[in-house]
Amino acid sequence: MDKTVSSQTTASKKMPSSGLPVIEAKHINDKKIKLKADVVVVGSGAGGAVSAYELAKAGQKVIVLEAGPYIPSNQFSEMLAVGMGQLYQDQGGQSNTAKDFTILQGSCVGGSTVVNATVCFRTPDYYLKLWSKEYGTNNLTTESLTPYFEKVEKNLSIRRAVREEMSDDANLLVDGCEKANIPWKASRRNVRFCALTGACLSGCVTDRKQSMLVTYLPWAIAHGATVYSDTFVTRISEKNGQVTAVHAEIKDRESGIKKADMEIEATKVILAAGAIQSPLILLRSQIANSSGQVGKNYACHPSLSVTGYIPNLNQDFYGAWHSMYVDEFTLPEQGGYILLSGIQDPVEATLNVDPGTGKPFMDHMLESKNLIRVITLIHDRNHGEVTWENGVKKVKYEMHDKDFPHMIAAMKKAITVLFAAGATKIYLPTSNKTEINDPSEVDKVLDSLKNEPARYRYVSYHPQGTCRMGANPKQSVVNPYGESHDVKGLYVADASLLPTSIGYNPQQTVYTLASYIADHIVNKS
Amino acid sequence: MNKHSRSVSKKTTHFTRRNFLKATSLAITCASFSGHLLYSGIASSSAITAQLPKQIKHINYFEYQVLNHLMTIALPVRGTPLPSPKQVDAMVTLDQALLGGMEAHVLAELKQGIKFFEEGPRSNFQNKAFTQLSASQAIKFCDNWANSDFPQQRGIVMGLKKLVSLAYWSNPATWPTLNYIGPISKRKGIPALGNAPLPL
Repeated sequence: MDKTVSSQTTASKKMPSSGLPVIEAKHINDKKIKLKADVVVVGSGAGGAVSAYELAKAGQKVIVLEAGPYIPSNQFSEMLAVGMGQLYQDQGGQSNTAKDFTILQGSCVGGSTVVNATVCFRTPDYYLKLWSKEYGTNNLTTESLTPYFEKVEKNLSIRRAVREEMSDDANLLVDGCEKANIPWKASRRNVRFCALTGACLSGCVTDRKQSMLVTYLPWAIAHGATVYSDTFVTRISEKNGQVTAVHAEIKDRESGIKKADMEIEATKVILAAGAIQSPLILLRSQIANSSGQVGKNYACHPSLSVTGYIPNLNQDFYGAWHSMYVDEFTLPEQGGYILLSGIQDPVEATLNVDPGTGKPFMDHMLESKNLIRVITLIHDRNHGEVTWENGVKKVKYEMHDKDFPHMIAAMKKAITVLFAAGATKIYLPTSNKTEINDPSEVDKVLDSLKNEPARYRYVSYHPQGTCRMGANPKQSVVNPYGESHDVKGLYVADASLLPTSIGYNPQQTVYTLASYIADHIVNKS
Repeated sequence: MNKHSRSVSKKTTHFTRRNFLKATSLAITCASFSGHLLYSGIASSSAITAQLPKQIKHINYFEYQVLNHLMTIALPVRGTPLPSPKQVDAMVTLDQALLGGMEAHVLAELKQGIKFFEEGPRSNFQNKAFTQLSASQAIKFCDNWANSDFPQQRGIVMGLKKLVSLAYWSNPATWPTLNYIGPISKRKGIPALGNAPLPL
């Protein structure tokens, strides 16, 4: 029998039909665990899961280490409040040092792909060319990456939403865009037979979101990979410029008490813990940082929600979560922002505006069925930093004065769409009550807003840039194939690779780069 | 609280509290404060701790009073079919679900913020602390701080209001009045697909 067919047949037999055979802290009895592997993958999200599958399929012995818990999809609640406690980093409370940016990342087996809103974009050619010019990533072109875009799209069932799948709010925004002559597009989403529950952000309980939990991770396991959860990588060691081992602690999920020390010897380590945890691991390990760039160049796509009151609307809060978007203005020269629809259930609505304390707020909440929003997300400068100080992570990032005008422009466009969609009142995401009742007020109100700390209700879903790739070892952490300039065998395969922010939701970029890097590793072997 | 929401509340209370007890929650921002203010009359005696409701574990009596007062004035339900924060045990949710899982240094910063907030009204409200303000005074104080020139004041009032709001509105018992059904997959019997087939 042909080797490939034989391997596929074997994998099919080992493939779990649902759930994953993850080794959790509760399964661990030994206090010291010492293993050997060909590859250790740190992180089980977009980059880690793809890396694990591609390398396991190529015959490598792969062990995946995930700091977060394993939560099977049948335990998802479809309630944002509960989901944040189950599945998110710091229970949804992660923030910058100034505490005016909420930074949302998944921390669970499957990572942020379990809790994201499924929207997918290929990496714009604009940024591939920019990276090539400024960072020497000449190997990454639309031509070279297209086979990987296509492979990921096929594997994750990425397709464009149809009008019937769109949520009530998104349909109104489409009408608003058409009335205002603003081109819009239906979102491309990684879903199979979406049940349109609107619960993407708390995990898909029926496995229709094609997150890593139901795709690349079970496939990796089918090809022999092993996955540990509750396992915190403390450091990576190297000798003579070659990676040698990964050291970790397995901690009880409830108490946080350490159950075991783990050491895995390996000559290849893929660091895919995300743009906050990956640099922290390198900083704690004190390796791979001759450039001084580890943790630097943090960007995060700041986003705000602009809310509109639509009379006579009786929405049901269900549908494709990000159903549609406007990217006419996304490249920096066009404005540097993207607008997205986003179902706003009443629980999330409590966070987004301040109509005034007391009765005004309660009256606002009683109008939840009439409230829709536009999410504004901007391309930002890579001027932040992630550090590890006295045992505590610090994300040092504030809205840059030169980026703030893009957010104002984005909000103005969002308001145009909302008024065209039939809104009679606009609520801005400020610390205090800020409302607009007529289009004639927009410029005056928006132009009076200043870039001030703790004035806006910023959320970031896309930390990136902190282990950036590039040809110059003095300016980048890894080379254009994701390998550390300083430590052979040490790779990065997550959003920390991106040399600049890309202004679009980055999950497909991460899947693609991880695929590309894995192929490079296999070919090199 | 009407008949419908009482019935929903009975069905959902056990589920929500169990989940909230296991899983803390939510994006809360609160400006850090490194002040040295004390509550007037604050002390950590066992007698004062004993006045706390039994289920409250992560805040002391005075912190409870501040947050409870804020919750009361920020979430008035009179004249609506909504349950009161007390009826849905919102302070227990706040303590156990929202504060219980916080990292120690974050909780410590929040407690400093609560102290700062409690002392905040003194300069403009006849030397009264927040817990001594009437409802209308407390509302005015919150709205003033939301638009303050000082980022710490904006950050603290925004963060604390988010905390109390989330502790209340994340409870499914509050949803029927909003005509929000909540989770639908189990309700509609939508089957799970399981893992995606191996790529060919």
